[in-house]
Amino acid sequence: MAAAQQRGGTLTVGLGYDIDTLNVYSTGFLGDVQAAVVEGLVAPDAKANYVPVLATQVPTVRNGGIKVAADGKSMTVTYRLRPGAKWSDGQPLTSADVKFTWEAVKNPKFIAESKDGTEDITSIDTPNATTVVVNYKRVAPDFMSTLFTFGILPKHALDGKDLNTDTYNEKPLGTGPFRVKEFRRGQYVILERNPYYWRKDSKGVQLPYLDGMIFKIIPDSNTLVTQLRTGEVQLAYGIPYSQVKQLDGVPGMRIVKNNVLSWQHLDFNLKTVDAFKDPNVRKAFAYAINKSAVSKALGGYPTPINSVVVPVFSYTNPAVPKYDYNLTRAKQLLDAAGWKPGPDGIRVKDGKRMSFKIMAQAGRSTDEDAQQVIIASLKQAGIELQPDNKSGVAFRDARYKGNYDLFYGGWITSADPTYSVFFGSKGVNNGQGYSNPRIDTLLTRAESTLDPTQRTAALREFQTALMTDLPSIPITSNPSMIAVTEKLGGFVPNPTNMTNFVNTSGWYLK
Amino acid sequence: MNAAHLLKRLLGTLPLLLGVSLLLFGVLHLAPGGPLDVYADNPSVSPEALAQMRVAFGLDQPLPVQYVSWVTAFFTGEWGYSIRTARPVSQEILERLGPTLILGGTSFVLSLLIALPLGIVSAVRRYSGVDYLITFLSFLGVSMPVFWLALMLQLLFAVQWRVLPSAGIQTIGSNSVLDLLHHLILPAFILAFASVAGWSRYMRSSMVEVLGQDYVRTARAKGLTAGRVVYRHALRNALIPIITVVALDFATILSGAVITETIFAWPGIGRLFIESMNGRDYPVLMALMMAGSFALVISNLLADLAYAAVDPRIRYE
Repeated sequence: MAAAQQRGGTLTVGLGYDIDTLNVYSTGFLGDVQAAVVEGLVAPDAKANYVPVLATQVPTVRNGGIKVAADGKSMTVTYRLRPGAKWSDGQPLTSADVKFTWEAVKNPKFIAESKDGTEDITSIDTPNATTVVVNYKRVAPDFMSTLFTFGILPKHALDGKDLNTDTYNEKPLGTGPFRVKEFRRGQYVILERNPYYWRKDSKGVQLPYLDGMIFKIIPDSNTLVTQLRTGEVQLAYGIPYSQVKQLDGVPGMRIVKNNVLSWQHLDFNLKTVDAFKDPNVRKAFAYAINKSAVSKALGGYPTPINSVVVPVFSYTNPAVPKYDYNLTRAKQLLDAAGWKPGPDGIRVKDGKRMSFKIMAQAGRSTDEDAQQVIIASLKQAGIELQPDNKSGVAFRDARYKGNYDLFYGGWITSADPTYSVFFGSKGVNNGQGYSNPRIDTLLTRAESTLDPTQRTAALREFQTALMTDLPSIPITSNPSMIAVTEKLGGFVPNPTNMTNFVNTSGWYLK
Repeated sequence: MNAAHLLKRLLGTLPLLLGVSLLLFGVLHLAPGGPLDVYADNPSVSPEALAQMRVAFGLDQPLPVQYVSWVTAFFTGEWGYSIRTARPVSQEILERLGPTLILGGTSFVLSLLIALPLGIVSAVRRYSGVDYLITFLSFLGVSMPVFWLALMLQLLFAVQWRVLPSAGIQTIGSNSVLDLLHHLILPAFILAFASVAGWSRYMRSSMVEVLGQDYVRTARAKGLTAGRVVYRHALRNALIPIITVVALDFATILSGAVITETIFAWPGIGRLFIESMNGRDYPVLMALMMAGSFALVISNLLADLAYAAVDPRIRYE
C-alpha cells in the first residue's frame, strides 16, 4: 500500500455549513479546513489518543514532561518543539510562538469561543528556541484538549495585530500540510500544498502527497448528496442515515462509519417537573425506551449504550446499572410510584396526567426520527409526550436555561471530555438543574488528577453513581457517516472534535 | 408630478423607515436567544469568555441604549461589524449582493418574458384548451414546493443526464461568463417558476377586463384586425395594474431567495440572512432588513411614478 502513493491531485470536500472565520479560536464550528492548515503541539489520533505533532513527544508524568509540584496543587508541562518545523511563509517555528499563542488567546480584547485552558496557566518560560515550559496553577489533566492542541499562532505575523479583524481570519498562517490560497465566503476555500511542510513519509518523501484540497460550502444535505453522486464532491461527512444507502450503490464511492465521541440522551428537567424528582419514575422511562428500536429507526447505524462515557474510552464502565427494554418492569415501577392508568390509558396521579413536552432540535431529521420512537415507546407505558421542537438559537437557549420538560439530543466531545460541564452542579451545559454532591466530588477528583489509575477509578464510580441516580438516560452513540471516493488512500476518520482533517498529509489520490 | 412632490414623498419615507427600524429591532430582540448562544454549542466554552464577549459587543447595555446607539450609527453610515464573522457589515452584504442580483435579476426578466405572453394568450383565448392548460400549469407552479422541484431537476439534469452542474455559482477556478450562465440555468428557472404562475394570472384577469371594455368593442367594430385590437388598444391599458404587482416584486430581488439559494449553494443575500438569523447576528440582520425595507419603499415610489407615466388618468397634485 505504501508503495504506490502518488503525488498530486486535488481532493474536493463538501461542507454542510457556512464558514464564519478560519481562525480556530473564534469559529463557532468545528475547524475542518483549519485542521489541514494549522497545527497544534499534539493531536488526537483515530483512537482518541494524543500523538505528537509540533512537539517531539506527548508530555506525561512518566517521561518527565509533566511535573507536579511538591504540594500537589500545581504543575509544569514541558514541550520540546520539533526542530526544522516552519510556518508556510518559510519562517521557523519557535518557542516564542507558543508563548504568544497563550497571550493572544487570553487577551480579553480577543473575542473567541475557545479560551479554555488559558486561565489555568500562570506563566510560560522559553529557555531556548525549542523548549517551552508551561506553568499551571492547578493540576489539569485535560490540559491537552485545549489551547495547544487547537493550533499555534505565528508571533511574527500577528504580534501587535487585532486578532478580531486581522486578515489571519481569512488566510490563517500555519505549519500544516496545506495553506490557504483563496477563501470565497459562502462558496469555497482552496488549499494548496505548503512547500515548507516539515513532515516526510517513511521513505523520506516530502509530504503532503496531494497538491491541494478544495472545501465547497453546500448547506443543503440533499444537494450535498447529489454532488457526491455527480462526482462534483469526493468526500463529505455527516451524511444523513436515510441517504447512506443510495450513496452506497454509487460506483467509486465508499461509506466509512466514524464512531464519533458523541452520545444521544434523554434529559429530565429536575427543576420544574415534580414527577421527575422520583427516581423510580426516571427508571420507568429508561425501562420503557427500546434502544434497539431507536437504532433500527435510524437505519441500524447507531449503537445502543448504557453509560454516558462512550465505549471507545478505556474508562467506560461496563458494570453500570443497565436498563434493558422491559415494559412490564416500567409499568410496575409507575404503579408503585402511584401513577395509575386513567380512562384514556394515560397514567394519572393526584389528578395530574402523565403528559410532558419533549424537545429536540428541529430540522435535525435524525434526532426527530429518534424522538418519534421514544414517544411511541413511552405511550406503551401510559406516558404521553408531545414534541416541542425548536431550532437555532431558540433551541440552544431553551437547552441552556432548561425550558423543557424532557430534552432529547446529543453531545460531541474532545478526546478528554470534562463531564462536570454536563452533570456538575455548576456545569455550563447543565440546563436540567441536576445537582448531586457525590457526583460533584467524583468529577472533581477525576478532573484534577494526572494518575490514570485514579482517574479511571473516579470516572467509573461516577458512571455507576450517575446511572443509579439516572438524571439523564443514555440511548445511543450515533456514528458520523462519511462518503468518500475509492480513489482516496490513507484516509482514516477521526472521532474527536478535532475533525477528520487533522491528519491530511498522508492522504493521496490513486 | 413635479420635483417638489418627489422630494416630499422621499422625506416622508424617513419617519416610516425609522418606525420600521424600531419595530424590527424590538422583534429581533424579543426572539429568544442571542448572538452568543452559538458559542454555547461547544461544551468547552467558559462563562468568563462569554461574559467578555457580551461586554465587547455592547450586549450588556439596556435595550433602549442599544437601539439609540444603533440608529445613530446606522444613519451616519456606520453599519458596524458582524458578530458572527467580525467583518464589516457593509462588506458582508456587498459580497453577497452580486450573486443575488444576478440570480434575482435573471429570474425577474425570465418571469416577465414568460408570464406576460402566457397571460395574454390565456385572456385572448379564454375558456379554450390552451387557457385551461396555462391555468393548470399556473396552479402547479404556485403550489409546487420549490425544494422538491429543485431536487427533481437536479436529479434529471445533473445526476441522470450530466448536462448541468447541480449547485454552486461557478466551477472553481473558472471565471468565464459562460460557466456562470451554465450554473444559473437551474436556480433561475426554479425561481422564475413561482413568479410566472402569479404574474400570468394577473395579466390574464387584467386583460380579460380590458377586452370587455366599450372602446375595445368600438375598435373591433371599426374593422381593425384582432391583433391590432389586442396589442395596440387593449394591452397598453391592461399593463397598468401589472406595473404595481411587478414593481413590488422587484424589491424582493434584493432580499434574496432563501430556499433556492440554500439548495443551489448560491452565495447570496438570502443565505446570509438565514445564517445571521440562526446566529442572531443583530448588526447584519438589522442592516439586511433595513435595506429590504428601503428597497420596498423605493419600489413603491417607482411604481407610483410609472403608474402616472403610463396612465394619463392618474396625476399627482
